Amino acid sequence: MGRNAIDRTEVEYRISRLHWLDHFREGWSIFIKNPLGKIGLGLLVLFGLMAACSYIPPLLDPMYRPMVGVDPEIASSVGPSLRHWLGTDFMGRDILSQLLAGARVAFMVGVSAAFMTVVLGTAIGMSAGYMGKSLDTLLMRLADMVMVMPTLLFVLMVSALFGQLDIWVIVLIIGLFRWPGVSRVIRAQTLSLKQRPFVEAARVAGAGHLRIIFRHIMPNVLPLAFLYMTFRVTSAITIEAALAFLGFGDPGTVSWGMMLQWVWRTGHMFKAPYWLLPPGICISLITLSFYMVGRAMDEVLDPRLRKEEEAS
Amino acid sequence: MSRPAESRKDTVKEEGGVLLEVDGLQVGYRTGRGFMRAVDGVSFSLGKGRSLGLVGESGCGKTTVGMALLRLLPPNGEVRGGRILFEGEDLLRKGEEEMRRIRWNRIAMIFQAAMNALNPVQRVQDQIAEAILTHRVSLSRKEAFDQVEGLFRLVNLPVERMRDYPHQYSGGMKQRAIIAMALACSPELIIADEPTTALDVIVQHQILEETRNLQEELGISIIFISHDISIVADVCHEIGVMYAGKLVEYGSREEVFGDPRHFYTRALLASFPTLTGEKRDLVPIPGETPSLINPPQGCRFCDRCPEAGNRCRLQVPDWLILSPTHRVLCDRCQG
Amino acid sequence: MDLWKFIVRRLIQVVVIFFVILTALFLLFRLAPGDPVERMVDPTMTPEDAQRLVKVLGLHEPLHTQYGVYLKNFVQGRFGTSFHYGQPVEDIIWEKLPNTILLFTTAIILSALTGIALGKIASWRKGSRVDTWLTIGSLATHTVFLPWLALILIWIFAYRLGWFPITGMISEEVWLDPDAGIWVKTLDVAHHMVLPLGTLFLIHFGSTLLVMRSSMLETLKEDYILTARAKGLTEKAIRNRHAAKNAALPVVTGVGLSLAFSINGGALTETVFTWPGIGRELVFAVSQSDYPLAQAAFLLIALVVLVSNVIVDVLYAYLDPRIRY
Repeated sequence: MGRNAIDRTEVEYRISRLHWLDHFREGWSIFIKNPLGKIGLGLLVLFGLMAACSYIPPLLDPMYRPMVGVDPEIASSVGPSLRHWLGTDFMGRDILSQLLAGARVAFMVGVSAAFMTVVLGTAIGMSAGYMGKSLDTLLMRLADMVMVMPTLLFVLMVSALFGQLDIWVIVLIIGLFRWPGVSRVIRAQTLSLKQRPFVEAARVAGAGHLRIIFRHIMPNVLPLAFLYMTFRVTSAITIEAALAFLGFGDPGTVSWGMMLQWVWRTGHMFKAPYWLLPPGICISLITLSFYMVGRAMDEVLDPRLRKEEEAS
Repeated sequence: MSRPAESRKDTVKEEGGVLLEVDGLQVGYRTGRGFMRAVDGVSFSLGKGRSLGLVGESGCGKTTVGMALLRLLPPNGEVRGGRILFEGEDLLRKGEEEMRRIRWNRIAMIFQAAMNALNPVQRVQDQIAEAILTHRVSLSRKEAFDQVEGLFRLVNLPVERMRDYPHQYSGGMKQRAIIAMALACSPELIIADEPTTALDVIVQHQILEETRNLQEELGISIIFISHDISIVADVCHEIGVMYAGKLVEYGSREEVFGDPRHFYTRALLASFPTLTGEKRDLVPIPGETPSLINPPQGCRFCDRCPEAGNRCRLQVPDWLILSPTHRVLCDRCQG
Repeated sequence: MDLWKFIVRRLIQVVVIFFVILTALFLLFRLAPGDPVERMVDPTMTPEDAQRLVKVLGLHEPLHTQYGVYLKNFVQGRFGTSFHYGQPVEDIIWEKLPNTILLFTTAIILSALTGIALGKIASWRKGSRVDTWLTIGSLATHTVFLPWLALILIWIFAYRLGWFPITGMISEEVWLDPDAGIWVKTLDVAHHMVLPLGTLFLIHFGSTLLVMRSSMLETLKEDYILTARAKGLTEKAIRNRHAAKNAALPVVTGVGLSLAFSINGGALTETVFTWPGIGRELVFAVSQSDYPLAQAAFLLIALVVLVSNVIVDVLYAYLDPRIRY
């Protein structure tokens, strides 16, 4: 057999045999050895800290409030100083507190939308894979159609009709649109799990469909679902940021995309690097870190990707 | 040349002289757990126009021998000792460029059809023509395709299927195509690695017949690698039985089949069902193969051998010469 | 040949999906708060014109009649009149469509080819510095926020260095000059296209590179590579003739799957660079509440994505004989 065939069998075997805690511990040790995993996780922790600290500046002084903070002495965009570590925007608002608040928004948007996408995608994928036949075909056709839609542009259209959208509506729409990718993978996994001996055994023992799905298939599908969640987080954050950048975000929420919109529209693009650079760097880095974490997790789940030491 | 008697058994072959001589070959793989000695001192020789069957269970090293002959080991594979004399020249001393000229041109390989041995996005005729054109640079594409046609006829493949892609072929057809490809440059030696595994029995039989006929017709030497000793008995003049990296018995097919001496050979023969002859119980071989990273001190089979004695565990046995053509690696196999 | 049947089948699918999108949009428009009439009729129109438009678009009819009218109008290519431009929407979007296609297609093709070529090299020299830098570079460019990258590029190359124009697709002087030949005009467009193309290219080539790289590494483990080596082919021939062709297939699939994502990026790029394409028109129309234009632009973009998907699928079928035969 080619090496690929042997490795594939190994993946399935591993999934079915170990208890999930062992899985987790083993996965963690592999994850933490991977440089991508280390850096990615480190960056995420950093951003998490930023989000957590976002509450601090307004407590120190009302002028640090991201949206409405007004510095009595500054009313325009000024470079970094002791007072404002990253400078101020065109209205004299502190950029650093905006940046921190943006971290909070990013996590909120990213995780919620991704969670929704994954729940939806997993449910649909499992149903399609397990039930098969016409339900499967119907769901997959639906997936094809939704996948073709450019999410950003669709949200734009909705915004055109319904006016300025609330951040949670944006999250909802993003969550509703990105599930086809997840469902496809989950469906494939469910299909292969359906044939596994342990599922057969459960069926012979008299387990009903629901029980099989929840007790046997779902635990093996969840790690994959989590993996895809990390990728979905990045796309959710990016879409929200792009929306805000174009001016269609929630006007009451300070996000990194919103900050970029302000720089751009107020013509400070060329004049204020301290304002232009931080939000863009943050968006890019958080995307990068989730991606790295996702890749490291990928290696945990798929032994084929680990460094090969054995001979064939 | 003087050589210890036990490693140089077969003198001049019946026709044409010696084509290949493997002398004390040692090949292994570097793994995370240590160096795995897959082939540990194997010696044999093959005459022109003769066929040798290398038999043994998975992991015994027979495939590694085949790969080593063509210097096709994976990156973690390493030849640690021995010589491979092909028409008198040591292949292990040759550079990559020289080996490339020898590969396929003089020594070709037949892989399992069940493997993905054919490129799925290339037409079969193109793949075979590629082999021809690589080694006969002066030929035109048309001439190459003409040769492909000839090869197709030779292996009983329908010529109108030349332009097809591999996935359109059945298992048996794929195997024939692989055989045709191996014959493309008229090599002197063909190494066939489990060529009939995963084919159904009838097709298996056909291919073996055709292989034998081709071999006799064209006078090509073959090394037939298989885990199935009964197949090998059909096609090969000589048989070498391998276990855990070592050659444990070697002889002509009549000798090995008629008078198996090594307990492993006997066990192998007993574990294969036959249609004729008296009804016997199938005897599985108990135990497991020894570690190849830290091989045991003595005979490698002693853990599973029904006749193992103390000496067997402490010392690697010497070759026991039973006849000019038959030898066995055992002290207790007198008869 | 089966290829034609395949193409026809895919095109039918496109029609079906497009139909669904059309209907969804129709429902969305009617379901949104506010008066549909207000949305489709320009407030600055005279009452008579407004009445005529209402009649043409069937806005006071019951829902299913409206739907029929809607479809009829669509097939005839009538989308109403843009509020902002005061012209029929059709004229506007047909004018802008080629610009988007020019930018988008060039970017996709260029980034795919580069990604494949560089991914091949990276897989060859796996573990070397070239590989490390290429991988890091791909990761970095792939995750950068597109509008921000666009802004940075403008800042550095257009503002600071002055090598490229900041916005737009053409320079008026060149195009209004009666003596300017076709070459000069083409060059002018190309000059304007460098930065937006560069933005899209940078964002996309990384992912194709990474996919190609891992695909090559997987392919090199396949059995037919061993066969090729046994045949005595040179490493170069093995890599290019046997491995690369097989490894490129998942890349093509990947490009197809990310087309919707790419068009988002295209719209953003057009907006930042003021490139007169459909994406920008959509954004602009939405911001101006120019519903007829927005709707038409969106539909056209959806169509572009669908057709691109078909093209990619057909390309894949062409490259992989296992699909065709």
